[in-house]
Amino acid sequence: MTVNPILFAIMLSAALLFFTWNLWKRYGLIRLGRPDDRFDNIPTRLQEMFLYAFAQKRVLAKPFGLNHAVIFWTFLILLGANGTFILEGLIPGFSLEHLLPASAYQLVMFLFDAASLLALLCVIIAVGRRIFFKPSYLDSRYVKGQSFEGFLILSFIAMLMLAFFVMNGALIAVMGESRQFMPVSSFVAKLLATGPLHDQLFQTAQFAWWLHALVLIAFICFLPLSKHMHIITAIPNCFFKRLDKSTMLPREDFTPGNSFGVAKVTDFTWKDLLDSFSCTECGRCQDACPAQTTGKSLNPRQVIHTLKTNLLANEQRIRSGASPVLPLIGPEGEGSNTEETIWDCTTCGACLTQCPVLIEQMPKIIQMRRHLVEMEARFPEELLNLFENMEQRSNPWGIAPSERTKWTGTLDVKPFVAGETEYLFYVGCAGAFDSRSKHVTVALATLLDAAGITWGILGKEEKCCGDSLRRLGNEYLFDTMARENIELFRSRGITKIITQCPHCFSTLANDYRQYGIELEVTHHSALLAELLASGRLKVTKQSDIFGKTLYHDSCYLGRHNDIYAAPRQVIGAATGTSPSEFVRNQENAFCCGAGGGRMWLEEHDGERINLNRAKEAVDAGADTVCVACPYCMTMFEDGLKDANNETVSVRDIAEIVAEGLRSPDQNQR
Amino acid sequence: MTEPKKIKKPRGKARLIEGKCIACGARCESSCPVNCIVMNDAGEPIVNESACIGCLKCIKICPAQAIEMFFTPEEQQLLHQLAAEGSSTPAVEEEDPEARALAEKLSRYRGVWVFIEQTEGVPATVSWELLGKGRELADTLGVTLSAVVLGEQVENLCHEAFAYGAEQAYLIDSPVLRHYRTEPYLKCMCTLVDKYHPEVILMGATGLGRDLAGAVATVMQTGLTADCTGLAIDDKRNLMQTRPAFGGNIMATIMCDKFRPQMATVRPHVMPMTDHKQSAIGTIISEPCLVQEDDILVKVLEILNDKNKDHVDIAGAEFIVSGGRGMMGQENFSLLHDLANELGGVVGASRSAVDAGWMPQERQVGQTGKTVRPKIYIACGISGAIQHLVGMQDSDIIIAINRDKEAPIFEVATYGIVGDLFQIVPAITNRLRDLKQLKARS
Repeated sequence: MTVNPILFAIMLSAALLFFTWNLWKRYGLIRLGRPDDRFDNIPTRLQEMFLYAFAQKRVLAKPFGLNHAVIFWTFLILLGANGTFILEGLIPGFSLEHLLPASAYQLVMFLFDAASLLALLCVIIAVGRRIFFKPSYLDSRYVKGQSFEGFLILSFIAMLMLAFFVMNGALIAVMGESRQFMPVSSFVAKLLATGPLHDQLFQTAQFAWWLHALVLIAFICFLPLSKHMHIITAIPNCFFKRLDKSTMLPREDFTPGNSFGVAKVTDFTWKDLLDSFSCTECGRCQDACPAQTTGKSLNPRQVIHTLKTNLLANEQRIRSGASPVLPLIGPEGEGSNTEETIWDCTTCGACLTQCPVLIEQMPKIIQMRRHLVEMEARFPEELLNLFENMEQRSNPWGIAPSERTKWTGTLDVKPFVAGETEYLFYVGCAGAFDSRSKHVTVALATLLDAAGITWGILGKEEKCCGDSLRRLGNEYLFDTMARENIELFRSRGITKIITQCPHCFSTLANDYRQYGIELEVTHHSALLAELLASGRLKVTKQSDIFGKTLYHDSCYLGRHNDIYAAPRQVIGAATGTSPSEFVRNQENAFCCGAGGGRMWLEEHDGERINLNRAKEAVDAGADTVCVACPYCMTMFEDGLKDANNETVSVRDIAEIVAEGLRSPDQNQR
Repeated sequence: MTEPKKIKKPRGKARLIEGKCIACGARCESSCPVNCIVMNDAGEPIVNESACIGCLKCIKICPAQAIEMFFTPEEQQLLHQLAAEGSSTPAVEEEDPEARALAEKLSRYRGVWVFIEQTEGVPATVSWELLGKGRELADTLGVTLSAVVLGEQVENLCHEAFAYGAEQAYLIDSPVLRHYRTEPYLKCMCTLVDKYHPEVILMGATGLGRDLAGAVATVMQTGLTADCTGLAIDDKRNLMQTRPAFGGNIMATIMCDKFRPQMATVRPHVMPMTDHKQSAIGTIISEPCLVQEDDILVKVLEILNDKNKDHVDIAGAEFIVSGGRGMMGQENFSLLHDLANELGGVVGASRSAVDAGWMPQERQVGQTGKTVRPKIYIACGISGAIQHLVGMQDSDIIIAINRDKEAPIFEVATYGIVGDLFQIVPAITNRLRDLKQLKARS
């Protein structure tokens, strides 16, 4: 086969130049972001990259992901096929056949042939899915699942494969030789030999070669301009993933003249900007997001899309050092986030556990909240009350600190004294003030005593951990309170802490590490599981009064801290049977709606998140919803009332165990 | 030559009289100059006798006379001996020069002032309430009660002030003072204070009053006690300013004994309204306004009224009847409206009632709604989640009606009624109507 290598070389060079130039421009844009050290711990990073990018771990988490995984792997093989194709086009007389031993050549050609078939099939399935079985989450406000771009890329791939088969098939037919190691091409050869073009086989091969070449060149040119850029960016994006908790945003330096949070696109870090070019608009985050599911303005996928659109729209001005024209936070429109969007987030982390390429949506939202709170003092009016109460009374409700010990009632609760008491029981604001949660506090205290654990409390000196403040972007107040707490812990010699609230747990165990204090923090679910397993805590009877139990994962226990098994074991040990599961469970669990400071905000739009979750519990036929978080408790009790359900009860796992501790003659509460 | 050895007067030690301590909040502890008093868990003092120097400070400050001086029998003997000698040589108490200077400084300030707040010529009723209290204070002190009237064409308010008990009124009438702005009002107040030296200034704890009082106190370098619930005069002419502290857990009496004027703000409806005597007359002391419009940076361009006709301000209501999920439906809120009408109050709601669309958002009481402190709060079918409680627990009287006797609302209720609100609420309404009719007949 003769092609014009000069013509091909010119076209290919132009395409590669265009490709490199665009890539370089994108790279320059990414470098406009703020610094962020993501080069530590290289071995772990490499491992994560192989797991998520090459082994496609997250992609495969959903059934249809297999289709993508096959396309990805066949692409890796076909990189070789296209490399050979280019070399053959540029160097007359170049042939793999002459370079490789016969067996190796046959194997390689078989792989190319088979991979092309697989890729073609997968692309057809992908097109079919987009047309006939399109999941709703493929569409967002500005990007549709049935977009021209999506179909164009799929048809490019399909044409490449078809051209490959026709080219090889025609050549096989012309040569008249048998190439059984290329079964698909051989089959095409038979078709061609008997088809209408049987006398123009050579021209057909030449046409197919040029078609392949032109589509390849178009593909190269189009790639960096489209969402298919993820082919290039997703792999480094997985390498540069966040290795610590996504809730642990960087601390801020409160010195005069500093600005806080993210107001414009270049206030993000370079990794944030890389995220925006890695998004392939698959919509999985959007499907999992509690705000989006219940009809609110926030869509995590759109937050990332907005970032990219805003960056590109402001490109010229940013490069010339001017301030952007399209606001990052502004009225509704492509390329801007509304304030409403920013306040909708419950920080549940569902988007983070869904994203196949490890994009960090939620931390970006918190950074924008920081700007609104700390630079603009613009936040929903309900928060004014919260911030004041936190500042003045160190609890969300503004209740007098002296009431922190009211729950103790007739119990003999001792203050924490280092050396005499092993654990500090950090009761938490809800556990100390909320009358429903006080029952949980008393139950847990009873259990700790029954297990022979020595523990004490800080009483009226206990302060709020500051979780809601940090999630709401009031980093200044969080910083103040965290310092006070750490000072208190240090001065009292506190190292081991028990919490009953996953928010206290996560904040003390993770966020406080940024202040240089390593605390051994145990959430009561983990502690109870261990005590029950080791036999230090024994239930006298396995309670059957709870009926069918259903365990609800708290976001700050499960997704943010990977504690899934312990609370289930506790319920299993206490009732004799493992709890049933929600349809959306473990890392796919649906938020109760109270995280991220949403507990203190009104929910104006769409369905209430807690109602959505409560309905799921009712539909599952639960008698008792088991929770391990005071926020979930409140949200479920309210949600069940909203659903007009009076039969399903809500219990904390500590209450369930405590029930099993009662002697048989005691009546149930 | 040696002087005859003097017998040292024993000073004694402070001792708690068992059972008399009211746990006022550690006043004795804070008064002790040698830190020999610590408080036990019950809030009662434990005196370290070996460290006590017998200064009597704790005894003087104790509001319950729960601390006495304790003398050993030997010391008592000495005291008797001294008393016998003392009768021949009366001891002259030495006066502290510092105290004298202070007393002199304070004595330059005389008179009680009440700031008459007005918006576009309409006076705030809290000003008249304060004149009533001011009258009491002025009588105790034996001084005149003055009203301070600032504004444009507001002389009529001076006469109103006389009717409510003021003997004189300081008036600054100027176009500059037409609308309230901190700067000109502050300057005028300070000019008046500098010239006439009042010892007490009272203002209403309204948005305007809180703003002005704080500014005046700062410029005059004196103390200000906000939101007082009680005002009285002690034996040294000091104003005793009582207000709740620490979340209402204790009542603190705050004194400003080294600076004048003594300033306090009082919320509306805290002090009773006084009688209006139309015939009363007084002196108007007109002062020029020394502030020029050009010197003021803030300009009032337009006043936008946010009060639409249907607007109900539940935060300012004296009686609130609130309904929650237990109301079962929007139509049942008419029961609450009936009761509220009889009481002259308004209807509030819990979050769930608002969420259900039974009541508008502006009626919501609680963490994410309004914080209210009416005289009477009647909670009907509200279980009392903490989010609701924090919005209404400071009400003077809380009456809870709920069929669940375990409901947390009963923990904060002054009176709790366990039962069906659909019977109880109409019963209360009818009883109120009957009582009103009876009263009208008699």
